[in-house]
Amino acid sequence: MLEGAELYFNVDHGYLEGLVRGCKASLLTQQDYINLVQCETLEDLKIHLQTTDYGNFLANQTNPLTVSKIDTEMRKRLCGEFEYFRNHSLEPLSTFLTYMTCSYMIDNVIPLMNGALQKKSVKEILGKCHPLGRFTEMEAVNIAETPSDLFNAILIETPLAPFFQDCMSENALNELNIELLRNKLYKSYLEAFYKFCKNHGDVTAEVMCPILEFEADRRAFIITLNSFGTELSKEDRETLYPTFGKLYPEGLRLLAQAEDFDQMKNVADHYGVYKPLFEAVGGSGGKTLEDVFYEREVQMNVLAFNRQFHYGVFYAYVKLKEQEIRNIAWIAECISQRHRTKINSYIPIL
Amino acid sequence: MSGKDRIEIFPSRMAQTIMKARLKGAQTGRNLLKKKSDALTLRFRQILKKIIETKMLMGEVMREAAFSLAEAKFTAGDFSTTVIQNVNKAQVKIRAKKDNVAGVTLPVFEHYHEGTDSYELTGLARGGEQLAKLKRNYAKAVELLVELASLQSLFPGLNVLLLISSQSWMRESEKSSIG
Repeated sequence: MLEGAELYFNVDHGYLEGLVRGCKASLLTQQDYINLVQCETLEDLKIHLQTTDYGNFLANQTNPLTVSKIDTEMRKRLCGEFEYFRNHSLEPLSTFLTYMTCSYMIDNVIPLMNGALQKKSVKEILGKCHPLGRFTEMEAVNIAETPSDLFNAILIETPLAPFFQDCMSENALNELNIELLRNKLYKSYLEAFYKFCKNHGDVTAEVMCPILEFEADRRAFIITLNSFGTELSKEDRETLYPTFGKLYPEGLRLLAQAEDFDQMKNVADHYGVYKPLFEAVGGSGGKTLEDVFYEREVQMNVLAFNRQFHYGVFYAYVKLKEQEIRNIAWIAECISQRHRTKINSYIPIL
Repeated sequence: MSGKDRIEIFPSRMAQTIMKARLKGAQTGRNLLKKKSDALTLRFRQILKKIIETKMLMGEVMREAAFSLAEAKFTAGDFSTTVIQNVNKAQVKIRAKKDNVAGVTLPVFEHYHEGTDSYELTGLARGGEQLAKLKRNYAKAVELLVELASLQSLFPGLNVLLLISSQSWMRESEKSSIG
């Protein structure tokens, strides 16, 4: 089926792929970041951003300019672009894009559920939801009384339904710790997304599967690292690891037994890709494991653009844009708090 | 020698002995009062110094804590909704204790921990390390605030006491210089 991609891809998705590549070209470069870092105030930052593709997106903001306003506006912009892609997409690209939004939906559903169960007002939570994760049943969440009610009436209509079914079994939703629920949902989401990409085959599978495998392994490492010293038991921890990726199954079994960072490092040393990453931790500049993983993710996403006729460009673009938003927000925070020592710890993209 | 400060007395030897004893009593009382006023002044100066140090430190600690919040947001994304929603009981509480300074009791605040951290698993998948650092920084800030509050509540109490004791001492020293 490999010839199929070059021949038929552009019929359905050529326009959108061209569009997304154009958007990617407007990501901030190293020179832009250097200019931003030299700003003294947030107003300077706004002026510098006007010369980039962001243009006058902050023009309607009243004084004083805060970091959260900048963040919200950038995110709105990304959401607008993504909605445009989604509205113009055909199958199977539209399913792919829906899969991408599922992760934001999970992040939205968790506080909504929590708020509904604690009988708190849902309005403020709705205001704080991630715009990419909107689904139509969101406002209806506060009608439900019990968790199973919530599930049967509302969540069953969303794309998240199969993920809930995976982690519910006989346990009622309210017995599960909300963080464990979030992580279990994310695990089944990743597995479903991986299966979808693999079944699609073609260049998409060749590009997306390594990216998703890295995501799964990264989650396994980070969950292990963050669960040292907490009440999370080893068996519980093991249920949160996604069942695919380079670490599956032997690495995951070894990781579940790890008790501290060095044991984790030993597990990583068995895998050629992860050994240099773990070695870069610490060192000069005090990089944490998460920083190193972010850098690797950015590298993989940039490489996705080297191939044509696949859906991975959309995923990669959204992730890179998100990283850029995080970088700008970080620089803006450092400027507004006048704490410039770590201002260069953003993750460079291009 | 003003009229109202004179004590009417019958000039006898017994009256002289009694007067001498009274004079001795008055002098001891005056010295004790001086000691008390000195001790209070010393304590006052110490507290003042500590307040200034703590206030300087407070500025640094709060700055550090706000920066670690920015770092955590960079890695973990926006976790504010999760935090606000899961608030139940306070983990750090304050007890008021009594402290004795030169015979005067003054209130002192002491913080203590109770209960477990309900945010242990927040940031499990992203940003856990930064969140742990954030929790530590803000815990330090809260402890420092409690100490500062304790010192600042001592301050006016001590001030008043110092004034009273120094006034009484002045009055005594006036009387003794005349008599």
